[in-house]
Amino acid sequence: MKVELRNLTKIFPSRNKKSNDVVVAVNDFTFTIPDGKLIGLLGPSGCGKSTTLYMISGLQKPTGGQIFFGDDDVTELSAENRGIGLVFQNYALYPHMTVRQNIMFPLQNLKGVDKLTKQEMLDRAENAAKLVQIDELMDRKPSELSGGQQQRVAIARALVKMPKVLLLDEPLSNLDARLRLQTREEIRRIQKETGITTIFVTHDQEEAMSISDIIVVMKLGVVQQIGAPQEVYDSPINLFVAKFLGTPPINVFKGRVEGEKLYIGGTAVLDTPGVKDRAVTVGIRPEGFILDANGPLECNLSGVEVMGRDVSVVSTHGESLNPTVRSIINSDNKVEAAATVRYSLKSNKVFLFDTETEERILF
Amino acid sequence: MVESKHKWKAWLYLSPAIVLLLIFTVWPIINTLRMAMLEGYNGTAELGGAAFNFGIGNFVKVVQYAKFLTCLKNTLLLCVLTVPLSTVIALLIAVCLNSIKPLQRLLQTIFFLPYVTNSIAIGMVFATMFNIIGNNIGGENQLITTAGVINNFIGLFGVDPINWINAGSAYWANITVLVIYIVWDALPFKILIFLGGLQSINKQYYDAAKIDSTPKIRVFTRITLPLLSPMVAYAVITAFIGGFKEYSSIVGIFGEKMGPAGDQFRLNTMVGFIYDSLASNQQGLASAAALILFCIIFAVTMVNLYVSKKNTHY
Amino acid sequence: MTNNVSMAEKDIQKVSAQQRVLKILSQVLVYAFLLTAALTVLFPFYWMLISSVKSLAEYELAVPTFFPRKFQFFNYVEAFNTANLGRLFLNTLFVGVVSTVLSLIITVLSAFAFARLEFKGKNALFAALLATMMIPGELFTITNYLTVDAFGWMNTFTALIVPFLVSVFYIYLLKQNFMQIPNELYLAAKVDGTTDLKYLWKVMIPLALPTLISITILKMMGAWNSYIWPRLVANDPDMQLITNGLRNAFTDVNSGKTNIPVQMAAVAIVSFPLFLVFIFLRKYIMKGVSRSGIKG
Repeated sequence: MKVELRNLTKIFPSRNKKSNDVVVAVNDFTFTIPDGKLIGLLGPSGCGKSTTLYMISGLQKPTGGQIFFGDDDVTELSAENRGIGLVFQNYALYPHMTVRQNIMFPLQNLKGVDKLTKQEMLDRAENAAKLVQIDELMDRKPSELSGGQQQRVAIARALVKMPKVLLLDEPLSNLDARLRLQTREEIRRIQKETGITTIFVTHDQEEAMSISDIIVVMKLGVVQQIGAPQEVYDSPINLFVAKFLGTPPINVFKGRVEGEKLYIGGTAVLDTPGVKDRAVTVGIRPEGFILDANGPLECNLSGVEVMGRDVSVVSTHGESLNPTVRSIINSDNKVEAAATVRYSLKSNKVFLFDTETEERILF
Repeated sequence: MVESKHKWKAWLYLSPAIVLLLIFTVWPIINTLRMAMLEGYNGTAELGGAAFNFGIGNFVKVVQYAKFLTCLKNTLLLCVLTVPLSTVIALLIAVCLNSIKPLQRLLQTIFFLPYVTNSIAIGMVFATMFNIIGNNIGGENQLITTAGVINNFIGLFGVDPINWINAGSAYWANITVLVIYIVWDALPFKILIFLGGLQSINKQYYDAAKIDSTPKIRVFTRITLPLLSPMVAYAVITAFIGGFKEYSSIVGIFGEKMGPAGDQFRLNTMVGFIYDSLASNQQGLASAAALILFCIIFAVTMVNLYVSKKNTHY
Repeated sequence: MTNNVSMAEKDIQKVSAQQRVLKILSQVLVYAFLLTAALTVLFPFYWMLISSVKSLAEYELAVPTFFPRKFQFFNYVEAFNTANLGRLFLNTLFVGVVSTVLSLIITVLSAFAFARLEFKGKNALFAALLATMMIPGELFTITNYLTVDAFGWMNTFTALIVPFLVSVFYIYLLKQNFMQIPNELYLAAKVDGTTDLKYLWKVMIPLALPTLISITILKMMGAWNSYIWPRLVANDPDMQLITNGLRNAFTDVNSGKTNIPVQMAAVAIVSFPLFLVFIFLRKYIMKGVSRSGIKG
C-alpha cells in the first residue's frame, strides 16, 4: 500500500494559556511513500517525526493537509478504520493477557467477512509469533519477558492482522545496544518477508541509515531531506542534515572562497570550481581527510584513538567550529607522535554551506 | 546505628499510644471473649457479686433469638443488594466521567458531595422525601391526597403512591428506601477510587486497542475492567465490611426504633442488635453477637480476597 | 502476507460520516447520563434547602412546591432553639478540636518511633497493631462502655475523647509517609546535634503536612458525625454531640408530629460546616479518603 502525505500540517495550541503562541509540530509535509518500502523518519526530539507517525495512524488529527492510503483519502478516518499496525515505543502490551492473548486480540475484533474461527486465530497468532521467533513464550505474561521479547510480541501483535501499513514508534529505544543491533536486522528481515509498507520513527541516525530504504530527515516540524540513506549522507542538502548524519559527526570549519579556492584560516585547502568569492561554512566528513605530510590543512594533534580497522585522529584547529577535529583513517597509516598533523582533503567529502541560510553550495 | 543507644526513647514516644491501646483495644478483645463465654452475663449483676457459668450459652441464645435472626437477615439483604448496585453504578459514572473533558471537575465534585455529609442528617432528608406528609394517615385514600415528593414524582409516570416508610408500610418498600439511600451514600467513595484507577491506566492501551479496531464494549470488558480489577476488589471488600456494619442510615431514616411506626425494630441490623443488648445490660449477648459479626466479616473478607486474587490481574 | 481488506471497497466518506455521528451520539448520551445522575445526587440537598425555608402549611401541600412561595428563615432560629444546637455545636467543636490535637500528637510520636527508631520487637508490635484493624469497632465498644463507666467518666468530655485517640490506621498512614523521607536527613541532623523532637518538628512534620491535614480533617469530620458512642456514654442532653440532637428533637412529644421544615433547617445547619470544609479542603479530603476508605 502506497502512503501519500499532502501538505500535512499539525499545530498544537500553546500549553501556556496566556500566550497565543502555537507549536507547529509538522509543517507542510508532502511525500509519497512507495509500496512495500521501509521508511525511517529521522530527527532530533521535537522535530515532529512522532506526530507525523501518529497522524498516519489516525490517533492524531492533522490540522491541515491530507493523507492517502493508495488512492483513498483517509484523513477523516479514525484510527480503528484505517487497518494499520502500530508498535508503540513502550510496546503497550496488555499486562493482564498472555502473549498469545495479546497477539490474538486484534483478530478477535475482525467483523463480517473477515471474522475468523477460533482455530484460525490460534494459527495466525502462532504464525506471527514464529515470524518474530517468540513461539516458545506464548503462555507468558508480558511482565515475565525481557525488553527485547516484549518488543517482538508488540511487532507480532501489529503484524497478525496483516496491516496495510506498519508503523513503529522508536522501536529500539528501550533495548540495550546489543539487542538493538539484533532487533533492527530482525525488523528489516520481517519487513522484507511480509512486504508491508513500514514507517518507523527514530532519533538514532545510525539505526535509520542501516535498515531504511528511504530516510526522511526532519527538524522542527519541517522536512529537510528525503532520499536513500547513502544518497542523503553523501549529498546533504544543508548543514543540519550534514551534522545529523554520520558518526563521528562531520567536522565544521569557518572558511571562505576566493578565486575558486577554499581557504580555511590562511591556507587554500581545496579547489572549488564555480563558487563565487564569499564566506562559507565548511563541513568535512571524518573519512574525507588524507594523511599527507605536504597537505595544506594543518591541525594541532591531540591524540589518536585506535578503533581496530581504523584509527581516529583527534586534533584541534583554530577555525574549527567544533572543539575537536576528528578524522578517520585506515589503520595502515601510521600517525607519528608530533605537535601537528597535516591533511589533504577528498573533495567529495567536503561540503560548503552558506553561513546565513546554511544551505548547501554546490561545486 | 545512632539510635540504638536510646532504645528507651522509642518506648517513650510509643507509650501514650500503647497505654491507650492496652485499655481501649487489647482489653476489650480479651474482655469480649470472656463476657461472651460467661453464660447469661450481665455487667450489673457481676458488680453485685453474681457468678456465671462458663460456656457457649450466649452464642446459642443469640443464634436462637428471633430478633437476632431478623437483624442478620436485614443486614445480609442490604449487603447483597447495595454492594453490587453501588459498585456497578459507580463504575458507570466513573467511566463516563473519565471520558469527558468539559464539566469533568464540576461533576466530580458534585458526585463526591454525599461523602461529606452526616449520614443521620441526610437520612432524615431522605425520610422527608419518602414521607407521607402530615399526620392524617387513616386509610388508603388519604395517602394519595398528601403523598410526598417521591410519590408525586412517580405519579408522573402513572405509578400509584406507595407507603414507603410510614406506619403500615411494606417491608420491601422500607428496604427499597434503604437501598436507595445506602447506594447514594456509598457512591462517592467508589467513584473516587474508580476514577483514580481509570486515570492511572496508561492511555497507550486505549490507543493500541483503537488501532486494532476494538469495539468500545470490548475495550471496556477486556482492557478497562481487568486493569481496574484491583480497585474494584478493594471497593467491594470495603463495601461488604461497611455493609455488615450498617446502622446509622437506618437510624437516619427510621429513627432509633429501627422501623416504621407500629413495627419497630423490623429493620434492625447486627450492629443495632449489639447496641440494644448493650443498652439493656446484656453484655454477654452483645459480646457473642459482636464476635459472630467479626467472624462473618472475617469470612466474607477472606472469600472476597480469594475471589479477587483469582480475578484481579496484578 | 497480503492485505485482505481493501480500502477501495469501503465507502470512506460513509465510514467517516458514521464515525462522526456515533461519536456525537455517544457524547450526548454520556452527558445526559452524567447530568441526570448529578441531579439525582444533588436533589436531596436541594430538597433539604427548600424545605428548610417553607412554612409548615406550604410544606404539607398535597402537591409539593419546588420553589418556596415564601421564605421563612425563622425556621433556622427555631431549629437552633428547639434542639439546643448552640450547646451541641460547642460540645462538638470542643471534642473535635481536643481529640484531633491529642490524636495528632500521639500519632506523630508513634509513627516517628516506628519509622525512624530501632528497637526490639518493632516489627512484631507493628504487625500486632495492624491486626487490630480487622476487628470491627463495635466489638471494642461493649467493653469500652463498661470501662468508661468503671472510670466514672459517664457524661464527661473525657469519655467522648479518650477512647478514640489512637488510630492504628493513622499511625500506619503517617509511618508510610515518614519512611519516604530519606534516613540520611535524620543522620545528618543527629551529627549536627539536633534533638529528635526538634528534627521531628523542623523536618518531618513539614514534609508530612499533607497527610497530617488529611488526618485532621477526617478526625474532625468523625467527631461531627459521631452518633452511637455519644448516645451511649452521654445521656445528659447537655453533653451530647450535634448529631444526637438531630433525630428526635423536632418531634412533638404529645402529638408525635414532626415540624419538618424546622427539622430540615437543623439538618442544613449541621451539614453546612461540612460543605464549607469540603469546598476549601477538597484536595486533602479526597486524598485522605482514597487511602482510608473509612467514613469519619
